[in-house]
Amino acid sequence: MKLSRRRFLKGAAAVGATTAAAAGGTAFVLLGRDHPDVAASAGVDRVVRTTCSPNCTGSCGQLAFVRDEMVVKVQQAADYPDAAYNPRGCMKGISYHTLIHGADRILKPLIRTGERGSGEFREASWDEVLERVAGDMKRIGQRWGYDSIHVFGQVPGSGYIQKGANYRASALLGLTHGTSFDFNGDLPMGMPITFGVQNAEHEAKDWANSRFLLLIGANPVETRIPDVHFLFDALEKGARMVVVDPNFSGTASKADAWLQIRPGTDAALGLAMAREILAADLGDLDFLRTYTDAPLLVRLDTGLRLRERDVVAGGSEERFAFRDERSGEIGWVGTKRLGMPRGSRAALGGTYRVRLADGSRVEVAPGFELVRRELETWTLDRAEQVTGISADRIERLARAYATSKPAAILMGGGSNHWFHGDLTGRAMGLLAAMTGNIGVSGGGFSVYVGQYKVRVNVGPWNNPDGAKAHIVPSIYFVRGRSETMHPDVPYPEHGFHGLVVTFANMFVQAPDVNRLHETLRELDLVVVVDHQMTETVKWADVVLPAATWYEKTDLTATPLHPFLQLQQAAIEPVGESRTELWMWRELVKRIAPDRAAAMEVTEDEAIEMILAAGGDRGGPTEGITLAQLRDGPVRLNVPDPDIPFLAQINDLEPFPPVSLPAPLEATAAFLPTRRIEFYKEEERFRELGETVPTYRDPHDDGVHDPSEWPLTLLTPHSKWRIHSTYGNNPWLAEIHGGRPKVLIHPDDASARGIETDDLIEVYNTRGSITAWAEVSPAAGVGAVTLPEGWWPRDFAAGKGVNELTTSEVNPIHEVHFVANMWSPSTGWKDCRCEVRRVEEAGRA
Amino acid sequence: MTAHVDVDRRTLGGARRRIGPFGLWIGFLLLVMAVAFGTWIYQVSNGLGVTNLRNTVMWGQYILFFMFFVGLSAGGLIVASSGRLFGATRFSPIVRLAVVEATVAVMLAAIFLFPDIGRPERLWHIFRYPNLTSPMVWDFTIVAAYFALSAAYVWLYTRADLAAAGSPLALGTADTPESRARDDRWKGILAWIALPAAVLLHSITAWIFGLQISRGFWYTAIMAPMFVASALVSGLALVILLALVVRRFGRLHFDDGLVSYLGALLAVFISVEAFFVLSEALTAAYPGAPFEGDPIARMLTGQFAPLFWFEVIVGLFVPFVLLARRSWRASPRVVAVAAGIAIIGIYVHRLNLVLNGLAISPIGLPPGVSVGTVQDGSSFAMSNWYVPSLVEWIIVAGVLAFGALVFTFAARWLPLQPRQH
Amino acid sequence: MPERRSPVDLLSPVSRAYGELEPPSEHPRWGMVVDTERCIGCWSCGVICKSENNVPLGMWWNRILTEGDGLDVPTSEHGHPEMSWTPLACQHCDNAPCTKVCPVQATYIREDGVVMMDNTRCIGCRYCMIACPYGVRTFNWGAPDRPNGLETGMVEARPVGTVEKCTFCVHRLEEGQVPSCVWSCPAGARIFGDLNDPDSRVSRLIRDRSGEMLLEEKGTLPKVRYLPARRRQEL
Repeated sequence: MKLSRRRFLKGAAAVGATTAAAAGGTAFVLLGRDHPDVAASAGVDRVVRTTCSPNCTGSCGQLAFVRDEMVVKVQQAADYPDAAYNPRGCMKGISYHTLIHGADRILKPLIRTGERGSGEFREASWDEVLERVAGDMKRIGQRWGYDSIHVFGQVPGSGYIQKGANYRASALLGLTHGTSFDFNGDLPMGMPITFGVQNAEHEAKDWANSRFLLLIGANPVETRIPDVHFLFDALEKGARMVVVDPNFSGTASKADAWLQIRPGTDAALGLAMAREILAADLGDLDFLRTYTDAPLLVRLDTGLRLRERDVVAGGSEERFAFRDERSGEIGWVGTKRLGMPRGSRAALGGTYRVRLADGSRVEVAPGFELVRRELETWTLDRAEQVTGISADRIERLARAYATSKPAAILMGGGSNHWFHGDLTGRAMGLLAAMTGNIGVSGGGFSVYVGQYKVRVNVGPWNNPDGAKAHIVPSIYFVRGRSETMHPDVPYPEHGFHGLVVTFANMFVQAPDVNRLHETLRELDLVVVVDHQMTETVKWADVVLPAATWYEKTDLTATPLHPFLQLQQAAIEPVGESRTELWMWRELVKRIAPDRAAAMEVTEDEAIEMILAAGGDRGGPTEGITLAQLRDGPVRLNVPDPDIPFLAQINDLEPFPPVSLPAPLEATAAFLPTRRIEFYKEEERFRELGETVPTYRDPHDDGVHDPSEWPLTLLTPHSKWRIHSTYGNNPWLAEIHGGRPKVLIHPDDASARGIETDDLIEVYNTRGSITAWAEVSPAAGVGAVTLPEGWWPRDFAAGKGVNELTTSEVNPIHEVHFVANMWSPSTGWKDCRCEVRRVEEAGRA
Repeated sequence: MTAHVDVDRRTLGGARRRIGPFGLWIGFLLLVMAVAFGTWIYQVSNGLGVTNLRNTVMWGQYILFFMFFVGLSAGGLIVASSGRLFGATRFSPIVRLAVVEATVAVMLAAIFLFPDIGRPERLWHIFRYPNLTSPMVWDFTIVAAYFALSAAYVWLYTRADLAAAGSPLALGTADTPESRARDDRWKGILAWIALPAAVLLHSITAWIFGLQISRGFWYTAIMAPMFVASALVSGLALVILLALVVRRFGRLHFDDGLVSYLGALLAVFISVEAFFVLSEALTAAYPGAPFEGDPIARMLTGQFAPLFWFEVIVGLFVPFVLLARRSWRASPRVVAVAAGIAIIGIYVHRLNLVLNGLAISPIGLPPGVSVGTVQDGSSFAMSNWYVPSLVEWIIVAGVLAFGALVFTFAARWLPLQPRQH
Repeated sequence: MPERRSPVDLLSPVSRAYGELEPPSEHPRWGMVVDTERCIGCWSCGVICKSENNVPLGMWWNRILTEGDGLDVPTSEHGHPEMSWTPLACQHCDNAPCTKVCPVQATYIREDGVVMMDNTRCIGCRYCMIACPYGVRTFNWGAPDRPNGLETGMVEARPVGTVEKCTFCVHRLEEGQVPSCVWSCPAGARIFGDLNDPDSRVSRLIRDRSGEMLLEEKGTLPKVRYLPARRRQEL
């Protein structure tokens, strides 16, 4: 039955009449007012301040209220010295105790007794499982090499010490450590390509300083709950918020305007906006000259930049040419400092002929001329055809964005999780730069998905005596070596034969998960370290019960806020669970006793190591002590507000700033000009025609022909989970009903005879999943949406959404290799599918 | 009087040697009561979750039967007192039966409160901490008063005969012309009290619902008159049925003319009820402005339409037609059928009232209200269809069995038939 | 066994200051303001309420309604998708229908305006649930079902067969702290204070941003007020 949703709020005029009516109601009461005192709080044994650290990387301070060694309440600590950050936390974090003491908690070490995946285990002693794992690892190590054991874990930022222990032990034993930022598709490849950094997000508080918030494929109302109030702070001050999203998301419901975009076409929107801004002469061309490669001349014969060496015999490789409009001459800029020579005015357009050192003449053009040529093709009409957003609205958006200062672009996973997500990032970076919104409070181009950026110098802890774990992007674990894999990737000679999954639900949550399951055949050992009985645990040979972050000590930080925080144990590890550091210590002792001493470090000592390493003058942890951290969050030594590129913008220091934990030399190689680069000269960019920001159709269109696979499957983050964590949270299940629902547009639904609550199959050539339909105009035409992270047991059939997702590697992401910084970022949303009705509603 | 003797032989007399139909009947009732009592103990120890009531539909079968029996008790006293007040002497053969019916019915109504509340052992709180603004406190008071009144009525009407028969129930009074005259005076006084009390009983029960602004479907001034009207219908109908049953067992004598007369009266009551039902439905539906989740649409065409139209057609229209024709209502059988379905119609009317009033949370926004217990999927519900659980049916059956037992004993041992003077 | 202490006493000074009530007037009348523009429908309020008050599974004192076609599903009644959220718990009405109908005065209004439940007196008739137009009361239908048996919270559980609901966390008010939902709202959508103090934050917000009553036509005079959403500036 259709409900009437009559608006039930009415003006509050009748406040005055309050007391008279109330008095009437109570005047009769003569007896029975002797109520017992119910106003006393029940006592607790202690309250412990710690930090919530699932894979949202939000790092929210929490208080654990303990009674009888049980956490009976978790509540935001709300003790940030910067009150703007209080209370910080969400409904997931504050219900974590239902998992600590929940039905799915793993309490004892387990050894598999049935087939892999059967979930049949027997309980075992720690001694037995450690001997077993150590023995197997030794066998694998001796036969295939220790590097054939892959350690896959949760993002290190969620706990530098315990996650760091994975790296430290891997380094000591010579294991291969996997990656997460790139594997999770969260690495915004547009950033290293354009800015030479891993990511450059503003701290969340800075959203409040913006006048114009352009959210692209980002849904902070559902997925950045602790930070979303900063958006409202901005809106209350009169800012405007525009949300670009294929779906009418929670964030769209709060926006001034919602632009419903065809999935995967965000780059086209960005390019058309950039063209419109140039056409309207709203661009900040001086910014482009000062900070970017826009004026640097590119040889049209080779596609390489014109270097001093080309023109002057014995010239520098690191001096780049520009054309001075005033003198008509070529000028030179180096890589030591941004800016242009005083008195010059660099040309951003035109083509010129230049005589090279060998006497030949070549045609050259400023990099921006090449960018502009690409932009010229992105008329509003073309963009309308590609994106589905009307030309008119794109035009108004471009003008509003360019004329509101400062204006921030907040990009999320919805735009980043594409094979060509790098191109979207490059287009957005171009927009931010050409409007002078880089390095400006309230501005910026921030990608918020999987905030991973390491805030402190974890080197001494992760790398004992400088020994480093081999780091192989985990996508190569799933797919094997790619043809275009960068030669620096230390892919093991004999492939992978062992797998340690720690704090990760890999066999559900990896892209293209059916392919991952095939690797099991080659694996002699699968160890899973976890505290919840996930589906991945069921595929383990040995299960090591882990302590949650309410049961151990760790150190955390996040790019979303500038505070360094501890995790402090509120209770003893539940059951026989143990910390990762303890497990690795015991394993190293058994596998390599000669190196075991390096693991004889307490958590506190490890924290001291990290603090000391970043504690030099200007270092992030300068002046921060463990004692301070025990009392509460301590601000890192960073600017306020904490925004990237300040040294570049204000002091003309060359790009890129350092991206911890990589050394600057490694990431500086991404930007030969040491400027923001919109023109990429590396060979593969030229081969693939992606030297300048451009647009490519979704990659999966080439795998699944859109005429046969007319729908795109979007698998965004859910507000009810952090990936699959909290998928078994009983309180939250009470709210959402615990049933995966596929959002589908009424047009797409009726074409397939689908109605709400029908059981439907979503499938493509990679896999299939059966869930329930939710027909709603919130969905875009041609796009079905099923949030990722549902547990397989919640589906009618299938292993989860990742049966359908892709694991293909974009060769652009292999041009350089610095793990988690320039390495293959996955494209979860780049996924075509078809849907059919399996069963009508009510019969399931 | 031979018939009397025969009955005695068949029942009490026979019971001494073997279990006759009367014994079987009593045994059956006791068995049902025992099972129901056990079920109630089960309900008390496990909580009301064993019913199908939840936060969405928090009142159901028990309250329904409370209302229903309050209504049934009305007919008895109204028949008895209006006979006295308006000189309707034709009622006199069944006046005693009517007051017994009223007494038993109001007693059952009160009993239905025990399984309905979550903490029956705290029922005394109503007397210790009464909240004078609560219609429920008013209702408790009137139910208690009404019970006392109808019990007094029964005693007044049967005292002289009991005394004559030497029964201890006469409480030591004697059957003398003076005492009969005194009885008569008191009957007159009680009639003046009983008639308004009966009306009040039903009005207050109606006000439990009708004063609740939170439930748009109930919040109407017609609730009290309609309750009185439906009480008259169901009460009179039950009196007719019981009278016919008791007559069949030879414990009461009256001619078919009385049945026909009562049938005509029932037709009048039914038409009054129908008038209120029509008036209510028209008033609510006429503006065409949906409110509170549109209960009128639910009632006329939606999920409650089967109940509503059953009530209108089977509960009102058919019995009215059966009773409207003099030749038809001359047959006690026809009157009995009409009375029977009229009672069912009133039950369905109450069912409709309670369920439809609660079917949708007043704020009709998803996900609705929390259900109160763990269920598959979300813990919230926008609307709820309520069907009583087995537990509720068993407990209702037990209370009904208790009522039948009390009435059987009353019919068996109280002098229902006035002596002729 | 160590002696247990009030959870409020155990807070760090910074945390404690965060949750401190504004200094109330001499005769405070507690009220809450909910900013519907800021509410993001995250249910942190409902979840912390469950935790704070040990509310069993199946029962919620505090919930968030979606003004839409379903939970977090927008409506297109006006031709374009629209959605907003309305958090809903006991409105602590000045003219509370529940206290009027309770036969035993088990639900009553305290001097500070908080509508309270006395679960030692409640007979479980559920009339208050009938009377409440907001559907915020829940009955204890049976033995409480808790996640893996986990007892949470800072107050005693209520007995079976009685009705329970939001208390404005009176146990926290006694210790000078805001209700837990106010503390835990990540969006800053809940503001708590003294309605009798014309200068309190709640009083000012109600005045300046026209705090509305829910179901005002029912005449219940709630002490929870809702700030309407801002006006949008379309592109």
